[in-house]
Amino acid sequence: MFAQTAFNGIVTGIIITLPALAVTLLFGVLKFPNFAIGGMMTVAAYMVFALNVQLGWPLVLAAPVIAVVFGCIAIGIDHLTFRPLRERGGITLMVASLGLGLILENIARFVYGNTARSFAYELARPFRFLDIRMNREQMIAMIVAVVAMAAMYVLLTRMPIGRAMRAVADNPALALVRGIESPRIIRWTNFIAGVLITIAGVLVGMDRALEPPVGSNYLVPVFAAAILGGLGSPIGAFAGALIIGVVSELSTLVIPPNYRIGVPLVVIALILIFRPQGLFGQPYIRK
Amino acid sequence: MSEAILSARGLHAGYGAGDILKGVDLELPRGDVVTIIGPNGSGKSTLIKTLGGLLPARQGDIMFKGQRLNDLSPPRRVRAGLSYVPQEYNVFRNLTVLENLKISREFMAEDRPSENGKGVISDALLALFPELKPKFKVLAGNLSGGQRQMLAFACALAVTPEVLMLDEPSAGLSPKYMADIFETVTRVNDTGVSVLMVEQNAFEALSISTTCIVLANGRVRLNGPASEVLGMQDLQSLYLGDTRVELPERA
Repeated sequence: MFAQTAFNGIVTGIIITLPALAVTLLFGVLKFPNFAIGGMMTVAAYMVFALNVQLGWPLVLAAPVIAVVFGCIAIGIDHLTFRPLRERGGITLMVASLGLGLILENIARFVYGNTARSFAYELARPFRFLDIRMNREQMIAMIVAVVAMAAMYVLLTRMPIGRAMRAVADNPALALVRGIESPRIIRWTNFIAGVLITIAGVLVGMDRALEPPVGSNYLVPVFAAAILGGLGSPIGAFAGALIIGVVSELSTLVIPPNYRIGVPLVVIALILIFRPQGLFGQPYIRK
Repeated sequence: MSEAILSARGLHAGYGAGDILKGVDLELPRGDVVTIIGPNGSGKSTLIKTLGGLLPARQGDIMFKGQRLNDLSPPRRVRAGLSYVPQEYNVFRNLTVLENLKISREFMAEDRPSENGKGVISDALLALFPELKPKFKVLAGNLSGGQRQMLAFACALAVTPEVLMLDEPSAGLSPKYMADIFETVTRVNDTGVSVLMVEQNAFEALSISTTCIVLANGRVRLNGPASEVLGMQDLQSLYLGDTRVELPERA
């Protein structure tokens, strides 16, 4: 029982890793918590659903195509919604992102209704390993998420654009002085966040079901993971997501499962009281 | 005197309602080292930030190699050949030393197609800063103050600039590093890079400079050969902003 719950927690944690990384990258570069990622996850997942179920594309093709398309949409969203508000500071941007998230989720609801749906792919029997029951969706989610994380690691540490994203997150004024054009880095960050959010939307849709709140249901654990790891720290997002996933699932052994959603909130409260910079974050210094 | 590579005319800039710079004129002749001194709040850092583009000029012109610079973004000024080392927070603390050096060169290609091997750090640069090489994999945030300053210096030089602007390069450093910094400035200048420097340690800075500019209340109070200013008995008072000091007529 314990092993099974812990395994489920690891899977949940690994799926949370992707949007948590999107949150932390966006926060690092743009310096505001983007709550629209819930609604964005929903819309991206329904776009994949449209190609996969309504047009009959295989999921392995529909998901990457929409990931790229949604990356571009994320650039457009930033351009239309957030860029005009950039000078007004983080609080304004955060409120705008909350509103945008609601709008996006309700666009999906308007088009597809509240009925839970699922992607079209072949179902397989779950299998057992060391008394742990694993289904194929969980295995796919783990593999895809781990590959995406590895790709992000390479991007952030080995490629100029990834280094520049970290540099802008570290010190935006110095990045300008070092010849880095921030609008270009902002576009790339939004594109990558869009891709990560789409992958997460599909994995969540496979693991549970596809319905309009699919993204917003994950907002609290995703932000808990990003804050626990230290906003702006990619490695922190990974560690934070795993911890949140496992702790949330294990909590169901001692508290009613309905209260599981409260666990990430408790984690956020504790981390903000005892270590506001998170596990891997830098203490904030006002410059 | 050779032609000015960088100059400012009637420069006004500031934060909020008031101007901190109130009509500054200056010239950096090609190949020279010009040091700006002055009391706290005189506008030294504001001046260098305005030249670097981090603060917009409200009035006046900034000219670099005959081109008006006012409307260029900071990255474009760097790519044009005007490099800048800020006083604090001048390295990316979460990037390694090597990443800091690489990133300084990686984004120049658009304006400088002639720069081959971008991202590659030249041996000549490393020869100037031998202590950085063994630290390549160390996070810049874990370096000592002096090493960090050397790294910031190296990053600014990695773009092969024609003008290097330094904002208080010796601030907070031990005497050993201070001497190293000024020696490095001299060696960089020997390679043909013109240097504009704001400094608190007036004696050390002026002894390696060609020209000294004294700034007070956002205006140039004195502009003369560094050796003459060094010889002035009232240098200390001048630097502290004592307005009773009698100054020679400005040229």
